[in-house]
Amino acid sequence: MRSEKISAIADYAATTAAGWQQIAAETVEMVPAPVEMQPNGFIQANWRDRPYGQLASLEAQSVHDGTTLAVRLRWASEKPETGGREGFPDGAAIAFPIKGEPVLWTMGTEDEPVQFIQWQAMKNKIRSVVAWGIGSSVPGSPVSESVTAGWSQGYWTIVMLRTLAGGPEAATLEPGTDTRIGFAVWNGSNEERAGIKAVSVDWSPLTIEA
Amino acid sequence: MSNRQVAMVIDLNKCIGCQTCTVACKTSWTSGEGQEGMWWNQVNTAPGHGTPKDWEKMGGGFKGGEPQKGVRPAQGDFGEGFELNYKEALFEGAGNEALKPIGDEPQWGTNWDEDVGAGDYPNSYFFYIPRICNHCTKPACMEACPRGAISKREEDGIVVIDEDHCRGLRFCQSACPYKEIYYNHVTGHAQKCVFCLPRIEQGVATACSRQCPGRVRFLGFLEDEDGPIHKLVNVHKVALGLHPEYETEPNVFYIPPLSPEKFDDEGNPTGEDRIPLEYLESLFGPEVGPALERIKQGRADKQAGKGSDLMDTLISKNFLDLFGPFTNHPREIERIATELEREPVIVPPSIEIAYRGPGGSSQ
Ligand code: SF4
Ligand code: SF4
Repeated sequence: MRSEKISAIADYAATTAAGWQQIAAETVEMVPAPVEMQPNGFIQANWRDRPYGQLASLEAQSVHDGTTLAVRLRWASEKPETGGREGFPDGAAIAFPIKGEPVLWTMGTEDEPVQFIQWQAMKNKIRSVVAWGIGSSVPGSPVSESVTAGWSQGYWTIVMLRTLAGGPEAATLEPGTDTRIGFAVWNGSNEERAGIKAVSVDWSPLTIEA
Repeated sequence: MSNRQVAMVIDLNKCIGCQTCTVACKTSWTSGEGQEGMWWNQVNTAPGHGTPKDWEKMGGGFKGGEPQKGVRPAQGDFGEGFELNYKEALFEGAGNEALKPIGDEPQWGTNWDEDVGAGDYPNSYFFYIPRICNHCTKPACMEACPRGAISKREEDGIVVIDEDHCRGLRFCQSACPYKEIYYNHVTGHAQKCVFCLPRIEQGVATACSRQCPGRVRFLGFLEDEDGPIHKLVNVHKVALGLHPEYETEPNVFYIPPLSPEKFDDEGNPTGEDRIPLEYLESLFGPEVGPALERIKQGRADKQAGKGSDLMDTLISKNFLDLFGPFTNHPREIERIATELEREPVIVPPSIEIAYRGPGGSSQ
């Protein structure tokens, strides 16, 4: 997909902003994160015969204004789940390779970490985490991020914003270059959390327009 | 793997179900927000549904070394916390108000089916079974946590949850076959019994043990050959883990309950045990029969004047003999901390303390 250069990111911060209608949307195929890749036998035992990550696809769009990048995601969700007192919230994440060519599904390696920007329905913020492999994610260095989200008529739509500038724990995104982006979605009403999620089959190429 | 393992032996023949341990634990550890329905120590009536309700049907643990599927108990399964109308009933109601819960009618609680038991009159039976986290040698909870937030301390084998790393994912709750982990919805963390580790570290018995008026709970290191735990578990072989088939190797052991005799239709004792052996085997495994025989033998020896090390250990005439190396008085904790740090403890000025410095002066 392409991140189109636009003049002011503020015009795209809202999920319903008119500008998004002009931006090409890419359909990303999603699959359940394989049960064999869950980090231990207990999680595997509990989810081997239980459906999860059933979302077939999501729609992704992106724009940037030279300083800040926006990614808009839209996916089907029967009802919005915030988790309440004891449940688990709906969620979504985008991933960028920080360095090298890490495998998305194994969430990076020690030498090739991956940055995730994660949104959860009960919170009004997103957080950036850095992972050096499954189960190793820790909060990354703060990059300026924000999110808007809304559920309507069977769909979640969210817009995540992050600065193009990165660092050792956040991917640096440069206009005029190609990078990759990955996706994950959690269905809270099915108690999905951590590795129990729908993931994009692989990285999608992401061109950041000059 | 830890170098040493603290362990507890609970003598079910002496437990009177007073719940003093439950309250000692509650006031020590779970009086915070989000902990209203949390009881790290429970005293269940057996047979019964237990805490959380029907926990023995919730799975988890291992079978043939393989992790097993398990249910994640909800707070409702443990029972919600509730307050009673003390004010109206005891102070302002002029005797017209009954003591009852405030708000929604509670549906379940930690000792909801207390004293119900099983069997038909006159051969009904029950016994109390206090439970805490078993600080297992193979903690299923620890293996299930994808964050590595649960660890087993090398120095004493206490299993702890690091709240800085716990993200409230609660895979541990499904994996623990004893269902000893709660979820604090206010802090977003999994929480459970910590074996009173700040007390243990200072040689003080756990609150549940120290407060027990039945002198039911023995403490010590499993490896300590002079301590009561080693004697009861390994020498006399009368203390057994609950549900050994869960394969987590619990470090809380139980002296199984002896039975009163059954009565026949005429009301004469029949010599048969009222608590069915099969039921006890379903809790403690096949070793429970031989263990009960050894206890009966010890009792017979004592009655015959032959003496019995087993009975002497179980009776434990000296209160402090129950606690192995953990015999310090809880009041001493402050003093020890002070000496270690060589600094006075800061306490609110309204609290009077007896401070005995290294020089022996008190203030
Ligand atoms: S009883 Fe449960 S919570 Fe406690 S150590 Fe064993 S598996 Fe973990
Ligand atoms: S305080 Fe002792 S006697 Fe009372 S219920 Fe607890 S273990 Fe049993």
